[in-house]
Amino acid sequence: MTIATGAAVAVLLLAAGPASAQSSTYRPPRAPDGHADLSGIYEALDGANWDLQDHSPQAGTMWQTGAIGSEPAGESVVEGGVIPYKPAALEKKKVNFANRRTNDPEAKCYMPGIPRANYMPYPFQIVQTPRGIMFVYEFASANRLVNMGKPEEAASDTWMGTNNGHWEGDTLVVDVTGLNGLAWFDRAGDFASNQLHVVERYTRVDPYHLNYEATIEDPSVFTRPWKISMPLYRRVEKNAQLLEFKCVEFVEELLYGQFKKQAGK
Amino acid sequence: MTLRAFLFIMAIGSGVLPSVCAQSWKPPKTAWGDPDLQGMWPGNMGVPLQRPEKLGTRTTLTDQEFAQKEAQAKKQAEADSQSTAASDSVGIGPPSYWVERGTPTRQTSLIIDPPNGRLPPLTAEEQKLRKEARGGKGFPGEWRGEADSYDDLNIYYRCITRGLLGSIIPVVYNNGNEILQAPGLVIIRNEMIHETRVIPLDGRPHLNPAIRQYLGDSRGHWEGNTLVIETTNFTDKDAIGSNGAGYPGDPGHHSADLKLTERLTRVSADTLNYQATIDDPKTWTLPWTILIPLKRNDHYQLLEYACHEGNIAMGDILSGARADERKETK
Repeated sequence: MTIATGAAVAVLLLAAGPASAQSSTYRPPRAPDGHADLSGIYEALDGANWDLQDHSPQAGTMWQTGAIGSEPAGESVVEGGVIPYKPAALEKKKVNFANRRTNDPEAKCYMPGIPRANYMPYPFQIVQTPRGIMFVYEFASANRLVNMGKPEEAASDTWMGTNNGHWEGDTLVVDVTGLNGLAWFDRAGDFASNQLHVVERYTRVDPYHLNYEATIEDPSVFTRPWKISMPLYRRVEKNAQLLEFKCVEFVEELLYGQFKKQAGK
Repeated sequence: MTLRAFLFIMAIGSGVLPSVCAQSWKPPKTAWGDPDLQGMWPGNMGVPLQRPEKLGTRTTLTDQEFAQKEAQAKKQAEADSQSTAASDSVGIGPPSYWVERGTPTRQTSLIIDPPNGRLPPLTAEEQKLRKEARGGKGFPGEWRGEADSYDDLNIYYRCITRGLLGSIIPVVYNNGNEILQAPGLVIIRNEMIHETRVIPLDGRPHLNPAIRQYLGDSRGHWEGNTLVIETTNFTDKDAIGSNGAGYPGDPGHHSADLKLTERLTRVSADTLNYQATIDDPKTWTLPWTILIPLKRNDHYQLLEYACHEGNIAMGDILSGARADERKETK
């Protein structure tokens, strides 16, 4: 990160602040360590996983699935509406979109990376423990442990990143580096490289909602850092729990079917 | 000799750290009052699942047997240190310098019950099932080169999961286990294949039997300082120790009726006894129990085991088999 982009991120973070969605009167309950208790099962209810940006309804990639596979409209969760791609990167995003049926890592049951894991149409669970804050995702058994101690450098690039967290008041801030850049941001082909740096902010704004913000920086793909924000909704069903969604076996035909022995051959 | 000293000597003598040890050591408590089992508890290779028959009901190695085992481990370590990617033969396995060999212990088998340390006999029903599966080929276990389709390979090769017990029984590498706790919850993480079980302790009922999961549905409670976890709702697509690099005589396929009871007891600052009883009357004629003493290792780091994402082998195995067929028909 250059000093200039670093400063830009800092300014953006300061401007964002937890105040943007936090009710001034709500004080979250406390975890055993005295910090705000964010634990629970959450899920996003917006169209961000289809497309982070404003989009009209459109046909899906397979007519066979009818309305089930077609894409509903959604409003942008990007601050300012538009992702600031560099020109070459915007071209690549268009290629991604054209090939999304087979190339979207979600279709292949790959771990979704950050930030996408948080706004897929699957629940995830936050558990605050003395060893760190655990994020457990239903999709593809993805997970990450946010280190709340002395920040650690990424040992290697991974799908779910190296996660260092700290508290700013009642807001959990998670700094994510070491992302491998292979995950997409959505089904529209939005993407980054392995220079991606994500700073997330989680604020409990009332008993049933977290406000989620993520500042996204990747100087090789974007002209400047940019930000998404959305509410995450608590799953309030009695005894709500994550269920298993080990999707590998549902994608083997897509990935390996071409290599199977054909009948009569 | 006091009774306590006598019990202590018995515990040392038996070598497999029975629960009497727990009486002499009290685990720390979490801030909310539960016994604190948290930490990094990687598995240790080297104890066979089943005891060699000649050892009978003996649970520990003699001094002489143990010395032999240590000497062999030393020799292996020297061979491993000579190994390089270039010197190892081409195969689907890792180079031998990757492989975890473990620290030798005196335990003669992971199975502690039945007392002979051996798997109980299969039911007639299960024998028939295993024989007739996949049109007579049997369930996919250790890979023997079949490659008509991806489902000729076991669920570990397919990167689906190693199953609940398979994720804890030590294998070739990435044996990390981490336990975390929060009020009302225990989390068990297994490094391979990035499994996370979030186990409620609040006494809620199990999921409806209509819902089936590879790792089942776990509910925990405390019995003194022991965490007891009961798991049901398994699938029958799973196997215990279902992996190509596993133990000879892997227990293999189980039924969806499997009831697994795990008992986790911290018996000293750096030893956590992991015990699991496999009760599946459709598959085995008797319940059986394994004991894995896990050693704390604060320096161990869980790495992201992106098995499926990096599963180049599957495409290569299948496309290679097709290429061989084309060559044969030419």
